[in-house]
Amino acid sequence: MSDLSKIPIHTEKHAPEEARTNPLAGVFDELVRFAQSRSMYMLHYCTGCGAIELPPAMTSRFDMERLGIQPMVTPRQADILLVTGYVSVKTLKRIILTYEQMPSPKYVIGICSCTVNGGMYWQSYATAKKLSEYLPVDLYIAGCMPRPEAVIEGMRALMANIQSGETEPWKDYYQRYDYYLGNQQHLFGDNWQTPTDVIGQAQHYGLAGPETEGEHTRILQQYQQPLVAHKLRLK
Amino acid sequence: MTERELDTHLVTILRELESLEYRQTSPRRVRIDVTREALPGLLELLKGRASYVHLSAISCVDWIEDNEFELVYHLWSYESNHLVSAHTRIPRETARYISVYDLYKPAAFFERDIFEMFGVYFEGSPHMEKFILTEWDGPPPMRKDFDAEAYVQETFNWQSYHPDWLKELEEEGGGVAIRPEEVRR
Amino acid sequence: MRPENYQAQSHPPSNEYELFIGPNHPGIEGNYAFKLKLHGDVVLAGKADGGYLHRGFEKLMEGRLWIQNIALVPRICVPDPVPMEVTYSMAVEDLCGLEVPERAQWLRVLQLELSRIAAHLFTFGGHAATTGMYTTSYWGIADRDLILDLFEALTGGRVYHIFNIPGGTRRDVPPGFLEQVSQTLDYLESRLPDYDNLLFTNQVFITRAKDVGAMTQEQALEWGVTGPNLRATGLAFDVRRDDPYLVYEQLEFDVPTEAAGDAWARAMVRRAELKQSFRILRQVIERLPSIGGPVRAPIPNPLAWNVPAGETYARVESSKGELAYYAVSNGGDKPYRVHVRGPSSMHAVQVLEWLAEGARLEDVAQIMFSLDACPPEVDR
Repeated sequence: MSDLSKIPIHTEKHAPEEARTNPLAGVFDELVRFAQSRSMYMLHYCTGCGAIELPPAMTSRFDMERLGIQPMVTPRQADILLVTGYVSVKTLKRIILTYEQMPSPKYVIGICSCTVNGGMYWQSYATAKKLSEYLPVDLYIAGCMPRPEAVIEGMRALMANIQSGETEPWKDYYQRYDYYLGNQQHLFGDNWQTPTDVIGQAQHYGLAGPETEGEHTRILQQYQQPLVAHKLRLK
Repeated sequence: MTERELDTHLVTILRELESLEYRQTSPRRVRIDVTREALPGLLELLKGRASYVHLSAISCVDWIEDNEFELVYHLWSYESNHLVSAHTRIPRETARYISVYDLYKPAAFFERDIFEMFGVYFEGSPHMEKFILTEWDGPPPMRKDFDAEAYVQETFNWQSYHPDWLKELEEEGGGVAIRPEEVRR
Repeated sequence: MRPENYQAQSHPPSNEYELFIGPNHPGIEGNYAFKLKLHGDVVLAGKADGGYLHRGFEKLMEGRLWIQNIALVPRICVPDPVPMEVTYSMAVEDLCGLEVPERAQWLRVLQLELSRIAAHLFTFGGHAATTGMYTTSYWGIADRDLILDLFEALTGGRVYHIFNIPGGTRRDVPPGFLEQVSQTLDYLESRLPDYDNLLFTNQVFITRAKDVGAMTQEQALEWGVTGPNLRATGLAFDVRRDDPYLVYEQLEFDVPTEAAGDAWARAMVRRAELKQSFRILRQVIERLPSIGGPVRAPIPNPLAWNVPAGETYARVESSKGELAYYAVSNGGDKPYRVHVRGPSSMHAVQVLEWLAEGARLEDVAQIMFSLDACPPEVDR
C-alpha cells in the first residue's frame, strides 16, 4: 500500500456556463440553490443496518435538525432519498418506485459500504451490489456502518454541493434512462415496469436526450400493461 | 453442574415407542433419532403427555451425499426444562413431509421457511407459498447444489477497482496499490 | 404509466378496503411490510410480508470459515447484536468442546446486559413514538448512545463489536472501564423516574396501551411467544435462569412478570428488566476484578480450523426472546449448516398477524413495537 499522503488531491473544474444576458438571473439561481440546500427533507428508507445510526443522528444527541435536515414520511414531499445499507432485490424494486415518485430536484445518498459494492454480502444471491447502476447516486457515505457524525458530514457535503450547483445526477436519470432501465430489467426481468412515465417526464422537463430512449425502453413499451389493482388473498 | 435426571414422563414415552434411539447429549439436551413415519406420533406424545409445548425451531439440513434432508424439531418443556431435538430424515427427491401445524402453531413459519429455502413441501401446512423469496425465480437457494457465488458472479457487476481517475493519480505518482491476487474478478 | 394506458377499474361496492403499511413507513420497525384488510378502522385480517432484508445469511455462512462468520452474525439483529455473537460462539465452543475461561464468561455477561439495556431503551423510544409521545424516543435514543459509548471504549465499535470469538473475547477491559460503566448505570438509574413521569405513569400512554394487542398465557404458549412478551402474560420463564449459560447461575436476578399480556404489560416488563440488568451489571462490576486468568482459550489456527463433526443447539435470552443457533459441522473448516432461530420469527410474523386481527388501525404500529419485533431476524 502506498502512503496515502502522497495522493494528490484531485479536483475537476467545471466549464463555465455561457454568460447570461440578465445580470439578475445568476443571483436568483444562487438564492434558489441556497434555499434548497437549507431545507432538506429526507426520506430514510431503512433498507439495512445503517438505519440504526439514523435515530441517534436525528434525536437529541447529534440533532440533525439544527442543520435544516428533517425526516419526511412521504416520497412526494422529500428531497433526499437515503438508502441506508444493503439493498436486497426485493427492496430495490421499492426503492426505484419510491425514487420515481419523488419530485425533482432529488438527491440520493448511499450509506454503508454495501451500497457501494455489495460490502460483506458480496456472495449473497439476494442483494444488489452497485446501487449506482440502478439509480443515480449523489454521494456515498462509506463505512460499516458510518457513525452519526459521518452521516451528518455527508449531509453537509451534499448541502454544499447543492448550494454550489455541482450535484445534478437526477438529471442523469432522465437523460440516460435507457441505461438505468436496462440494468433494472437485467435484474427484475423484461416485464419490469413502474407506474411513473419517466420518458414523458423527461420530455416535459426538456431533459430528454439521445440516451433517454433505446432498446430497453422499447422492451418496456412492449411489455407495458395497464396497471390493475393488486389482488390480495387475505382471509 | 450436576447431571439432572431425565424426567420420568419423557423416559416412559421414549421406552414405549419402537424404532427410535435417544441419548442425553448434555444435562438439558436430549437427542432423539426417529423414523419419518414415527415422528408425528412422537411429537403428539411429547406434547400431550410430557409437557413439551414449545416448538423452538424446525431446522433442515441438506445431506446431499446421502441424498437426504434431515429435519430437526427442537422442543422445549417449560416444566422439566429439557430441550428435545427429534431428528428424522426424508428422501431428497420427493422432498415432501407432513406438517405438524395442528400440534404446534409455530411450525407454520418454519415449514414455510424450509419450503422456500430447501423446497420441501409440507402437506397440511397452512402457508405453502413464498414469503421471503417472493421475487426469486431460481432454485431453492439453501440447497447445497445451488452455487450462490457463481450466480452472483454472472448476475452482478462490480465497482471498478481501477477506475480512470485512479489511473490519472497514478500517473502523477500517487494511487492505491492493489496486489494482483486481491483483485476480485 | 402513460395516460392513454389508464383504464378505470370498477369494483363492487364494499365497506372493506385493503391497506399496505411499509416497507417504507415510519410506523414499521425496519424494512418490513404489513398488509391489512380493514372495515372502517378495524382490522379484519393482517398479513405480514417479509424478505426485504433477506441476505441469505445461512448460505453466506456456509461459504465462509468458522471464524469469519463472527463478523457476519451480529448483522442478523441490528439493535441487539451481542447475543448473536455470543450464541454463535457458544455453538462453536460446544462443537469443539472448548472451555471458555471464567473471566471471558463474565465479560460476555457484561456485554449481554449492556446490549439488553440499549435494546430496551430503543424499544421504549419506538413504542412511545407510536403512541405519539416523541420526547421519550428522543431521550431514550440519546441515553442508549451512552451505552454505545461504553461499547466503543470496550470494543472500538458502536453498533457492531465483533468482540466475542469462539473461545472467549478478543481483549480484556481497558483500564477504568468498570468505573465508566458504573457511572453510566448511576446516570441511567437516575433517569428512570423521568421515564416514569414521561411514559409509564403517563395517562396518555396507559390509555393507549392498555388492552391493546392482548394475549392470554395459553395463546402465548400456543403461538411460540418467548422473552418479555411471554413474561408479560404471567409465565416466569427466562432462559438465563431456566436453561442457564455462561455464569448466570452465579448471579442474582429476578424474572419480572405482568399478568395482563397487553402492550402496556410488555412495556412494564421491559422496564422491570432494565432494573434487573442494572442489578446484574453491578454484580459483574463487583466480581470481575477478583477473577483472574486469560480471556481467551487457546484455539487452533483459525484459518485452518476444522471443527469436529457434530451438531448443537445453543440458545440464549436476547432482549427480544429466545435466540438459538443450530450449527452442524461435517468436520470441515466451514459450517455445514447454521440455522438461526430469532425470537422475532414468531413475534413479527404469526403473532403480529393474530394480534392485529380485531385491533384498530392506529394500534397496529404500537402492537408491532410492543412485541419488539426485529425484521432482520425474520428475513436473515
